[in-house]
Amino acid sequence: MLNFILKRLGQSAVLVLIMSALVFIGMYVVSDPVAVLAGEDFTDEDRAALARELGVDRPLVVQYLSFLGNISKGDFGTSFVYNRPVLELILERLPATLEVAFMAMFIGLVVGIPLGVYSGLNQKKPATKLTSFLTTVGYSVPNFWQGVLLIMLFAVWLQVLPASGRGDTTRLFSADWSLFNLDGLSHMILPALNLAIYTICLQTRLARSGTQEVMYQDYMTFARAKGISRDRLIRRHLVRNILIPIVTITGLQLGALIAFATVTETVFSWPGIGKLLLDSIHSSDRPVVVAYLILITLMFVTINFIVDVLYALLDPRIRYT
Amino acid sequence: MTDNTLIKVENLTIEYPMADGEVFRAIDNFSMYVNRGQIVGVVGESGAGKSTIGKATLGLLDENAIIDTGSVFLEETMVSHLEEHHYAQVRGNRVGYIYQNPMTALNPVLTIGEQIVEAIEANTDLRGSDARNYAIDLLTQAEVPLPEERLDKYPHQLSGGLCQRIVFAIAISAKPDLIIADEPTTALDVTVQKAVLDTLVRLTRQENIAIILITHDMGVVAEMCDHVYVLRHGKLVESGPTEEVLQRPTQSYSRELMAAIPRIDHKIERFAVPGGLGQAGDRERAIAYLMDRKSDAGVEGQPLLQVRNLSKTFQTKATALKSASSFKAVSDVSFDVFPGETLGIVGESGSGKSTIGRMILGLHQPDEGHEIIYRGRNIADLTSRQDKLEHRKSLQCIFQDPYSSLNPRMTAGENITYPLTAHGLLDRSAARQLAGDLMELVGLPRASARKMPHAFSGGERQRIGIARALSFRPDFIFCDEPTSALDVTVQAQLLNLMKDLQDQLGLTLLFVSHDLAVVRQMCDRVMVMKAGEVVEAGPCDKVLVTPDAPYTQGLLDAMPKFSFAAAQ
Repeated sequence: MLNFILKRLGQSAVLVLIMSALVFIGMYVVSDPVAVLAGEDFTDEDRAALARELGVDRPLVVQYLSFLGNISKGDFGTSFVYNRPVLELILERLPATLEVAFMAMFIGLVVGIPLGVYSGLNQKKPATKLTSFLTTVGYSVPNFWQGVLLIMLFAVWLQVLPASGRGDTTRLFSADWSLFNLDGLSHMILPALNLAIYTICLQTRLARSGTQEVMYQDYMTFARAKGISRDRLIRRHLVRNILIPIVTITGLQLGALIAFATVTETVFSWPGIGKLLLDSIHSSDRPVVVAYLILITLMFVTINFIVDVLYALLDPRIRYT
Repeated sequence: MTDNTLIKVENLTIEYPMADGEVFRAIDNFSMYVNRGQIVGVVGESGAGKSTIGKATLGLLDENAIIDTGSVFLEETMVSHLEEHHYAQVRGNRVGYIYQNPMTALNPVLTIGEQIVEAIEANTDLRGSDARNYAIDLLTQAEVPLPEERLDKYPHQLSGGLCQRIVFAIAISAKPDLIIADEPTTALDVTVQKAVLDTLVRLTRQENIAIILITHDMGVVAEMCDHVYVLRHGKLVESGPTEEVLQRPTQSYSRELMAAIPRIDHKIERFAVPGGLGQAGDRERAIAYLMDRKSDAGVEGQPLLQVRNLSKTFQTKATALKSASSFKAVSDVSFDVFPGETLGIVGESGSGKSTIGRMILGLHQPDEGHEIIYRGRNIADLTSRQDKLEHRKSLQCIFQDPYSSLNPRMTAGENITYPLTAHGLLDRSAARQLAGDLMELVGLPRASARKMPHAFSGGERQRIGIARALSFRPDFIFCDEPTSALDVTVQAQLLNLMKDLQDQLGLTLLFVSHDLAVVRQMCDRVMVMKAGEVVEAGPCDKVLVTPDAPYTQGLLDAMPKFSFAAAQ
């Protein structure tokens, strides 16, 4: 087990190294921070001074190596724009993104799996056909458009939910959370729902195809022949067997929800890291972009590791072979 | 019928709608009766509708099945037409069910304990630790060693035989009136099969439980059943007391069925079933093509193939959770095969018999220290492209599974000649010609060479597989359980075909099988294998009649005995 964890850590270190190098080169090619940050009235000398201050006057290789050196000391650098430590900046925004992503995933699983199992068991019912139609629509309609529609419906016409912002927050574990008070929660519902729609559709389809496959397995027929209740048949025999593909996709989805919530955060003016990333790319704030992507890489590696452990818990065949 | 009648199937017709609007009749106007405590056999080949009867009794038919006429009564209850929630009183409680393959009948992600206890709790008043204790008690009765430990195991950690005993324990947990056993031993080795059936009989005799035994194995029927029903294409062919039906069948299909069963006690020239080679006029060209092969096939009295000190060790790699391990599949096997003879290799699954053949064909790399000499040349010395090609053409293979051994995206004809055209040995029109010739040789219509593999039955596909092996004009064919996936009459036809081909072409065969009777009918000499080692070898007349090794004797004793007198 320890061997496995160490191997995974080693792999992720290599991944982070490659990733950071790519981002470094990419940002260097695409834009010049001095040009973005310098004022109209800057002289050439002022520009040179700014470049020295930001550290971008040195060769790219030197910049990269000093960046790696700093990282090993736990220093991710200082934002060009905000002039604050990058890590502090990201951690400040992270809770907002995390809570909305987890909320969306929760909604996706709680709605998607039962809906999928139901559809798989009742293939000919009208409700199943409706579900199938709606999931296709949910897949195909662009995310930002769904967001705009949600705002129109709930904030403009019905006026039951706020359209944007984060609302009141509660201080907990030295971070601000909207989850723990009513006003914050009401602000969270629409963005979470917006993110959840795609997840619901995906989980419904996964659960449905899993159910259709598992229902015709010999062990399902045999379990029915034993005379156990239908409820037990579905809860223990069916659901346990369809969870493996669901766990895989949930892991990937969760990463994607956290990393790429940018569109939703923009539509709902939700102050998460997605919006921070977008702003930083615009202002070529390289330290923020690099640090963000490194954190996201680590997060994906961690999630995948958890998924692997869950596999073994769910399927004894993986555990014992 | 008297009050003693437990199951009454009357004029049952079950249909399945098909894609083209037609209906398929799985069971056609079928009636049968089972008394309390009686063991009744339902026999027939695949597609005969045997399993449908069992499923109708338990309400387990597929959703689209239509019960057109008739019904199944369990005493006073019409069990074929219950609402889903009423089956709770029937399933498990009054009728237990045993599934064909024990490895797939148990849920892979739940423990054995949970799967037994849930059945007990669903059908008895026992709960919690009482149910668990009763589960241990049941496993003990079903002769599962270390029952308490097994409860915490998962199905894949146990052998097929043990899993089937666990399935038995589940089936008898509520002391039902009837057990429906659907091919309960087909997936098991012959020695395991006997012990498992003995257990089933003992368990059911104690409680006077009736059994409907659904099977294609006449030997099992002969040993177990009081009464037998023979089915074909969903229709009853004949029924009666077992002795009567098996020894003096009145219908031609039953006679053919009995005659197709390979016998262990003596070797017969051919099976008394139709269908061997193609018509005499049709096969001449193919025979001429095949006889045209280089005739350095072997010298009489000199071995064609010599194998010395052949071993194979399989290694597994170290993974995150487990260290590396190795498994010796074959250890130190030596033998000779002479031109024109058939050498059989028998053994139970996992004994290494297929691995030997695969090493000779070069599909597995044997361990160091071996020697394989074919036509006087050590195959390790074949280095030039030309030599290797000649060697491979001379050595061919017929595979076990006719469904996966043909390329589904090529026509039958392309499957047969593809290897030759791939080597540039044949142009397109010659390939078409040859494919047609070989199809006719193996008894298939020439024109069907243009059909895709899925349009053929299992037996026909295996004929195509034989035609493909023959296309190389081989001297030596390795037959890896070529008939184990086939019905008994189809098997008999195919074995006839192989005998005829061997007579005509003087082929040398290495014939691997788990079925002693098939080996007895096909082979001149036999090698008995156990756990990678040769237990005994010699002429079939000796080894399969008066064996020296206790293991061979055990295999023979475990075989269900059936010999059809009228076939002689």
